[in-house]
Amino acid sequence: MSLSPLQGEITKITAFAFKNWIMTRRNIFTFFEIIFWPVVGFLSVGLLAEFTQLQPEMRAFILLGVIAMGAVQVCQLDVCYALLYDVWSKAVKHGFIAPVGIMHMLLGSLLMGIMRGTAVFLMLMAASYFLFDFNFMVPGATATFLFAFGLFLNGAMVGMLVCILVLVFGNRAEVAAWSLVSLMLLVCGIYYPISILPRWIMFTAELIPLTYFLEYFRQFYGFETTFHHPLARGYLMVFGYLFLEVLLLKAARGRAKRKGTLLKLSE
Amino acid sequence: MKFVVEMEGVHKTFVYGWPRKRKNHALRGVDLAVPEGVFWGILGPNGAGKTTLLSILANLITAERGMVRVLGEDIRSRAKAIRPRINLSSGHANFPWSMTVQENLQYYAMLYGLSGKRRNQRVEELIDLFDLQDFARVPFDGLSTGTKQRLSLAKSLINNPELLFLDEPTVGLDPDIANRVRESILSIHKEKGTTILMTTHNMKEAETLCQNIVFIKEGMVKAFGVPQDLKEELRLGDRITLLFDGTVSSPLPDDMDGLYSFEKGNGYHRIIVDDHRKRLPQILDIFVRGGVQIRNLSIQEADLEDVFITLAR
Repeated sequence: MSLSPLQGEITKITAFAFKNWIMTRRNIFTFFEIIFWPVVGFLSVGLLAEFTQLQPEMRAFILLGVIAMGAVQVCQLDVCYALLYDVWSKAVKHGFIAPVGIMHMLLGSLLMGIMRGTAVFLMLMAASYFLFDFNFMVPGATATFLFAFGLFLNGAMVGMLVCILVLVFGNRAEVAAWSLVSLMLLVCGIYYPISILPRWIMFTAELIPLTYFLEYFRQFYGFETTFHHPLARGYLMVFGYLFLEVLLLKAARGRAKRKGTLLKLSE
Repeated sequence: MKFVVEMEGVHKTFVYGWPRKRKNHALRGVDLAVPEGVFWGILGPNGAGKTTLLSILANLITAERGMVRVLGEDIRSRAKAIRPRINLSSGHANFPWSMTVQENLQYYAMLYGLSGKRRNQRVEELIDLFDLQDFARVPFDGLSTGTKQRLSLAKSLINNPELLFLDEPTVGLDPDIANRVRESILSIHKEKGTTILMTTHNMKEAETLCQNIVFIKEGMVKAFGVPQDLKEELRLGDRITLLFDGTVSSPLPDDMDGLYSFEKGNGYHRIIVDDHRKRLPQILDIFVRGGVQIRNLSIQEADLEDVFITLAR
């Protein structure tokens, strides 16, 4: 392959990161997404842990969950913003007439999501160390990197699901951008081990990769794992879902073209 | 002749509503062949199917039946090959609100794979072409309607398209800005030889810009041709009104060449002929010979608006 087509593909990918970056810089609500909500959530949980005088390992369990959740949430928002910014500005048709595909959109927005997610992750890591005496680096740099990357892929997975729902149901489905993550909060063992959940909810938790990434990282803090090889399971599952979602998003795009949703989203 | 758009028996039905499904037959068997390098107008009343037609050609909507080829390629199986060669601009332009004119153009240039110097050069060219220098750093939200429209046109040329779709490009603009936009469109067509398909409700605009008119109603092509031919086909000739004192009997023979219709009233005669330039001397001659003292004479040429009203009824 000559350099030019490859360069063209990279440019198309970075276009989505460029748009998200500019919109992030210029909109006040992104300040709330990156700093306000994650920090407020983190501080509330941290202070609650102080007040209830939790054992250090219990505190670690909860802080780890809340930091992971912050990173997933920020990253997933960036992925779904790749479509939602166009929906909100009624410019959907201009994006879909251009010679870009699902993978350009996913990779470009994920790039920006990883940047923002990393910023939140590092900020909360530092805050947990200085404010609550919790060392996030106990598992080591490699484990932390694998954990963080897994979180970002979980974010991409949720963001893609939001895009699919918006293309299928129109802009009524944009509420999924905020509600799906809250559902994960309930199911995936952010604040408690999934073993305390009723059997049928536990089964749902087993279908969500975030459960395995949390299990993987918590084992370094002395918690026993419910599943074997949680990291491998988590990655296998998240890549499997992402592959499936790319196919579903293509199908949703085809359906939107048949139903005229792309035009409706531009009106 | 090379055709950039070929449509045969194209149908599109939108199904909506729940639980009771309703159907809207937007296109009912459209046939169309657009040669390379032309500027054609697509006219029709609201809901006729004009935007659906353009959207099918722009690959934003899929037709349920019929053959659609754009730039020689099948729109369904070869969309990837077509998309880099087409573009679209529509009235009521909308783009990401926080991005400036320059950033919007940069973003869309990136979507078309333009990078580095080539991209910056193209963006600058378009900013110059559409006189957007003063607004280059203004966010989209802060632009006037006319400037938004110029940005939309600039964006539609970012990839130097071979085929350009314009969906009511001057809707909502004041006459001065609309004229400037029309001039820009015409110069794009003349200088680049870009094939343009444009929908509009502005008949003057269609008559000024378009070489051919496709008239759509209820999802079907009802008429097609150059504006003059359409007028002749519909017998929408020029209207000559003669005013005089009193009542006179009609001196015009019924079988006069080019006579479409003749209306006689108290103190006036209204005559519709195919071309007033050809027929007026003969008419005046007949009236003068008949001893009629003409007090006033007025001529009203049929325009595309008359064609539109006649076809839309």
